[in-house]
Amino acid sequence: MLLVLVCRDQQAEPHTRRISLHMLLLEIKAGDPRTEKMPVDQDWTAVYPSATPFRPNAVPLPLRMGYPVKGGVPPEKKGNLELLKIPNFLHLTPVAIKKHCEALKPFCTEWPSALDTDATCDEHFPIKVDGTDYVSAGPSVRNPSARVVHLRVKLSSLNLDDHASKKMLKLVGNKYCKDTDVITIKTDSCPLRQQNQDYAMYLLTVLYHESWKTEAWEAEKSVADMEEYSWEDSPSQRNLLDVLVRRKAAGEGEGEGEEVREQLLGRSEVQEYKDSVTRLKNEGESESAVLQYKEAVKKVLNL
Amino acid sequence: MAAPMALRRELFSLTRIIGGISRLGPRAVGACSGHGTNNITRSLLPLASCTSFHTTTVFSSTPSSITVTEEADTLYQKVSLLVKGHDRAVLDSYELFATTAAKELNITINKVHEQPKDMDRFTLLKSVHIFKNHRVQYEMRTHYRCIELAHITGCTAQVYLEYVQRNLPEGVAMAVTKTSMEKVPDHILKPLWEDHPIDNELSQ
Repeated sequence: MLLVLVCRDQQAEPHTRRISLHMLLLEIKAGDPRTEKMPVDQDWTAVYPSATPFRPNAVPLPLRMGYPVKGGVPPEKKGNLELLKIPNFLHLTPVAIKKHCEALKPFCTEWPSALDTDATCDEHFPIKVDGTDYVSAGPSVRNPSARVVHLRVKLSSLNLDDHASKKMLKLVGNKYCKDTDVITIKTDSCPLRQQNQDYAMYLLTVLYHESWKTEAWEAEKSVADMEEYSWEDSPSQRNLLDVLVRRKAAGEGEGEGEEVREQLLGRSEVQEYKDSVTRLKNEGESESAVLQYKEAVKKVLNL
Repeated sequence: MAAPMALRRELFSLTRIIGGISRLGPRAVGACSGHGTNNITRSLLPLASCTSFHTTTVFSSTPSSITVTEEADTLYQKVSLLVKGHDRAVLDSYELFATTAAKELNITINKVHEQPKDMDRFTLLKSVHIFKNHRVQYEMRTHYRCIELAHITGCTAQVYLEYVQRNLPEGVAMAVTKTSMEKVPDHILKPLWEDHPIDNELSQ
């Protein structure tokens, strides 16, 4: 229709042709999509400053989306519901992200350069507290799992002596991991995370101070309660010494119990036997441990 | 600036308010306090006319004052973002956004990996009444993406997480696990009983 008007103008006043053509180029017809007028180097963040649904007249891309008709192509972007349904990231182009981050940088702080490895972090800050936050859309903003707190601390980083660390392990029970030497305290009994954090720290404090105490009934600790096997005063030591003493008595006819025992204990083969037995009992049975035991027995009994 | 205005617009989507994250203190834009709601409604009016033309208004705000307090900043050894959604392409785009934002803010990214998807399947009767032999099966797919960041301070974590969570697309959920490091507190440095010995009878 516009073309027809132009032709009429040209016929009526030929000397004004250029002016009307110029006006045609400049004239903004209401029906034209905005994409026609977009320059290539425009500021895209001005077009999509925040999360908005997809507008086909504002996105100058030849997009096609949807399942194609038989023998056809996916439908075009005009009036396409699929493009409206899917969340778009048109407001988060790399340029937009850079702009946002430039505005956010003044609020950030730097990580201290001295704590660059995990080892230094563990050395200076041995206690690790874990908390989880949940973000989701739903009728409620709250998530009951957000109150759970895990407190992890390495046993070696606490100031404990031998007795205290053994007592601590007994108090803590299955919350201790032998491989990583870490005590994990999980608290979820309080309704708020801050309360759970405080409770976990309180538990750690109580464990620490209680493990330093020595109660009267701890003197009744028997061999069954011991954490590690010790060869002294064990049936294995008694049996070995009996065998060796009887051998010696049979061979040379000497007999003065205590001194003979001391001498025998001092011998290197007996020490080797002791090491191999302790290793078997503490670390469990493995090929190398059993072989070591075999060698030690052969040496002690002169086989 | 486009940034504070864009962020203010995000506030309108109230269903995505973060649970458990404390509000940003020194930010002038943050409208989380009680009187903030009035600010939002007031700012709606000048913005509403501009939305239809998709132009940025010159936002005449007072320059945001950054307050520096003496309080020690928390140190997070690890912050892990687990994003869940039904569409893998959306999670791809979101991962690109989150990693770009982290790089811009100089946050070290440990690992970005994709957990294998979960398929929730169930079989229902097709008909309302009888016809037990005719069933229909549905499945719900949940895709995951895990972004692990290391060595972040509390302030930076707050800023980054708020930015990344305000731009969480619809239909995507996120779980953030933060591991904060703390020093051994003073009351666990030495046993109590050295200075104040207690009788054993009392403990019994």
